[in-house]
Amino acid sequence: MSEARRTLRQALALAALSVVVAAAVHLPLVKRFARGEFRETFFVPADHPGIRLITMAEAEDLWRAGEAAFIDARTADLYAQGHVPRALSAPAEEAETSFPSFFERLPPEGALVIYCEGGDCQSSLALAKRLREKGFTDIRVFSGGWEEWARAGLPGEKGDDQK
Amino acid sequence: MIRNKPLLLLFRVVLGGLFIYAGVVKVGHPLDFAQDIRNYRLVGQSLSFIAAVVLPWLEILAGAFLIAGIWKRGAALVITGLLVFFIVLTLVTMARGLDIDCGCFGALSRKSGWSVVLEDLGMLFLGFVLFFDKTPGPSPEK
Repeated sequence: MSEARRTLRQALALAALSVVVAAAVHLPLVKRFARGEFRETFFVPADHPGIRLITMAEAEDLWRAGEAAFIDARTADLYAQGHVPRALSAPAEEAETSFPSFFERLPPEGALVIYCEGGDCQSSLALAKRLREKGFTDIRVFSGGWEEWARAGLPGEKGDDQK
Repeated sequence: MIRNKPLLLLFRVVLGGLFIYAGVVKVGHPLDFAQDIRNYRLVGQSLSFIAAVVLPWLEILAGAFLIAGIWKRGAALVITGLLVFFIVLTLVTMARGLDIDCGCFGALSRKSGWSVVLEDLGMLFLGFVLFFDKTPGPSPEK
């Protein structure tokens, strides 16, 4: 067998071996995939106790009742251009390295509503997972985000976060 | 062509080690990694899932085989192939203006950008040296 063919065969064998090992190790996950899970989203609330996805109506109720702290997970720029009134700015990216200090003043069992731009933005979920690790127990992700909020004509606020 | 055996061994350990590390940090969180892949907006949900499950193992096995000297050239081919793919993917992502995590090292990933390309190019250099190395190793392939 020529050297090139042997090398190619080795590479293909490695790929095949990876598929076998991956299927064996992740068998429960692969079974869930085969049953039709993960076709819409990779976020499975059951895998993340303490984090819930909420609709705009729920978010609006919580906001009007003042029952939850709203957290804006977008960049500081987008926050300054417009955000949910009273929302605190916690850009998800920065929270990876330096966690905003206002979280220390929030009670860990208090409700948090986190949002990002909307559509398929992921920063609210990423921040929610980080906050869950930090000990917050009632985290709600408003997946419609700022886009849906603004489109519905709900109140907005401009300017930087005063913390 | 580098013929210094200790240096080649060092290259294998460094490159293989980095690939093993990259695979290990992702292997425990396949759904998070699947989302990282989906964020590139190149493939759909299903392909993102399959890639997220298989890719970390391909990285681990190729890295381990490279270090062990088993199927050395095949492992180097897989690694250089993956690196070329990652570099093209990062450049395309930057050109499209997507602001996303590269997903390279699981939770320790940073934004897709020039630093990722440079790091991959550095690893690609090691990969090429090892791929074109014809000195017989302690492997059963000869």
